[in-house]
Amino acid sequence: MNGDSWRDVLRRFAGTSAAERLFISVAALALSIVVGAGVILAAGWMATCGAPATIDIPLFGATLSITLQAFGEPICYDPVNVYVTLFTGAFGDILSNPTNFSFSLTLKETTLLVFTGLSVAIAFRGGMFNIGTQGQLVLGALASALATVTVAPILPAGLVGSIVVIPFALLVGAIVGGLYGALPGALKAYADANEVITTIMLNFIATQVAFYLTKYHFQNPGSQVVQTRSVPGFAQLQPILFGEGSGFSLLALVLGLALAGGAWLLLERTSLGYDLRTSGLQPEAAEYGGVDADQTMVTSMALSGALAGIGGAVWVLMAIGSYQVGVPSYGFDGITVSILAGNNPLGVPIAALLFGVLKSGSLAVQFAGGVPQELSGVLRGLIILFVAMPEFFRMLGERLPSAESEQSAPVATDGGEGGDEE
Amino acid sequence: MIDRSALDRETIRYALAGAAGGLVVLVAIGGLIFPGSIAGIVLNRAVSQSTVSSALRLSVPIVFAALGGIFAEKSGVINIGLEGLLIIAAFVGVLATDMLGAGQALVSVVVPGLGTVPIGNIWLGFAAGILSSTLLALLFAVVCIEFKADQIIAGLAVWLIALGLAPFGAKVVYNRPNTPSVGTFDNWTVPLLSEIPYFGDVLFNASPTVFMMLFAVPISWYALFRTPFGRWVRASGENPKALDTAGVSVRRVRYSAVLLSGVLSGIGGAGLTLGTGTGNFVGGGTVNGRGFIAIVAYLFGNYNPFGAFGASMLFSTLDALQLRLHGLGVPSSLIQTIPYVTVIIVLALVGRTQIPEAAGEYYESGEE
Repeated sequence: MNGDSWRDVLRRFAGTSAAERLFISVAALALSIVVGAGVILAAGWMATCGAPATIDIPLFGATLSITLQAFGEPICYDPVNVYVTLFTGAFGDILSNPTNFSFSLTLKETTLLVFTGLSVAIAFRGGMFNIGTQGQLVLGALASALATVTVAPILPAGLVGSIVVIPFALLVGAIVGGLYGALPGALKAYADANEVITTIMLNFIATQVAFYLTKYHFQNPGSQVVQTRSVPGFAQLQPILFGEGSGFSLLALVLGLALAGGAWLLLERTSLGYDLRTSGLQPEAAEYGGVDADQTMVTSMALSGALAGIGGAVWVLMAIGSYQVGVPSYGFDGITVSILAGNNPLGVPIAALLFGVLKSGSLAVQFAGGVPQELSGVLRGLIILFVAMPEFFRMLGERLPSAESEQSAPVATDGGEGGDEE
Repeated sequence: MIDRSALDRETIRYALAGAAGGLVVLVAIGGLIFPGSIAGIVLNRAVSQSTVSSALRLSVPIVFAALGGIFAEKSGVINIGLEGLLIIAAFVGVLATDMLGAGQALVSVVVPGLGTVPIGNIWLGFAAGILSSTLLALLFAVVCIEFKADQIIAGLAVWLIALGLAPFGAKVVYNRPNTPSVGTFDNWTVPLLSEIPYFGDVLFNASPTVFMMLFAVPISWYALFRTPFGRWVRASGENPKALDTAGVSVRRVRYSAVLLSGVLSGIGGAGLTLGTGTGNFVGGGTVNGRGFIAIVAYLFGNYNPFGAFGASMLFSTLDALQLRLHGLGVPSSLIQTIPYVTVIIVLALVGRTQIPEAAGEYYESGEE
């Protein structure tokens, strides 16, 4: 591809809003990988190891070996190798064995992130920042586990029991998560309390309350860990096609994808969705058009919390089999997923897969004796940082000399933060 | 033009402060009359020297982050990443101190009259912590000012980067998400003044970071309301165009304000681990939302450093009390939610304060 046509592609990307967002997401991802490589090099310099890492570049049949060293200290990690391990580690031997353990781990992370990503996206589109997905997921998970443990003994085991108890558990998760999400929505609507702060505070409260309830009231007596009793086998989401113990169920992924489609339909094809979107983009215009802004805030946060709660229920029924304290940070990763997806429900599964790869792959990297898995947390922050600055990429695009000057409209990285500033 | 709702909020704020004061008085009276009651026990523990001095200690990171947040937001940049700045400074402070060797002194300065004075490595670690937080704030400033990023999302990014980077760094160096303990600052004791009964021990025999805080609050107030720099900062947040017309660069003022928020948060963060804490950094648990509590503190204090200090003392007193109420039979995990619940209640009652007119907005100079 020559320079001119590449520029055309860039220009065409910049022309339409959805495509521009896609471009920004891809560019942000690429830049995070580059900066992440710098972080890996720096970390490799701080770490102690016997011999420095080397990068081997095949060159006309010979191999060029670069030994990594800085200021006389060896650099222990080779970023190229780290990224290769990350990628191959996330997919495993997918060609010969599509249901291998590594890939199922990736899909497990992906599935859970679809729910939290959708949760953040729905709120965003309604003009609300839901940083509280984590707390809503935690309480949804706990409630779902407790409800299942309570109800399961009176149900017949087997398929009939599954058909009754699984939807019930998901519903309980959705209701509790939804109520906990509606709380900051109502606080914003009726008391003008900034939802960014209240949702973050509610995360801390949810963690502590869930710890208290689990430890002092619902502790599994036979366990060393602070956790509830396990839900019976028929209440768990079965790993169809994939191996036992992988913690992944195809059923849950299908549910996530269905919810993504449902969320898209809700936003784009229903009057409630229209209200949400207009409130998110132009609160004044929405109100002028007869939308009850207060109610919309509560509704979008309740929906958002319900999705997080379902995510919590799936975490219990699919991944853990009980509620356990120390819930992984699916809520915070959901923020990245949603922002990366341009807050579009249909983009969420793709962004979730990217992040699923990142999370399961970073485990493989750590296992291979290299960079700690916390690397995915660093990359999460970098991705958000770069997505937040579309202007950077636009400036980069404008540096390229062009025949006609073009004025593109500023992109909002969110679904309508504009209402917050008044 | 008088904003009605702002006026009401002001009333609510005073009513709330009055109610809090009234409650304290009620508990105090109840405690004095019935020393054996819960009120008596609470009063006894609340006014004990150890509670008051630990409240002062606990408020250090909150107050410094809040002061930083005030400067940034007054200049028109909402810095929601204060939590991240605290985290990175708290971690790097310990890391640098540990790498230098906490017990030794690497650098010494010659002071006329005093001879060669060694600077303990804890102080160098402290400086490294401040530097790291300032660099992260610089990144935030570039992203917001140069590349017109959404401030809230960029602030979240600062938080998440630090949240990932600190345990990542600890894992790289120590193979676990926590650091070992290094030494902390010795208390500074002011001769004579520390002999004053009750207050002497609380105010004049304390960590150096507590002294810094007690100085930083009035200095910040003075800088913000009595100096040209403070005037520019406030103008940059309220009416950047006017400031621009007056020939002062809005960009520069905003850069300085955001960097200042990095320096102040750095003192708070490094002070959290090296000044008043246990000298180690524990994964996600060390900072634990203090940066966000700081935001609420300055909102409640209406962007006034003294107000923010008062609000921070409210939160940290609750925090200090919850540590001392464990004996009363309420599980600690529930008591620990008290400061967070208080933040929500305060925010719900005070709501949105009069945020600077141009806060959150990108300003483009007319000359370009």
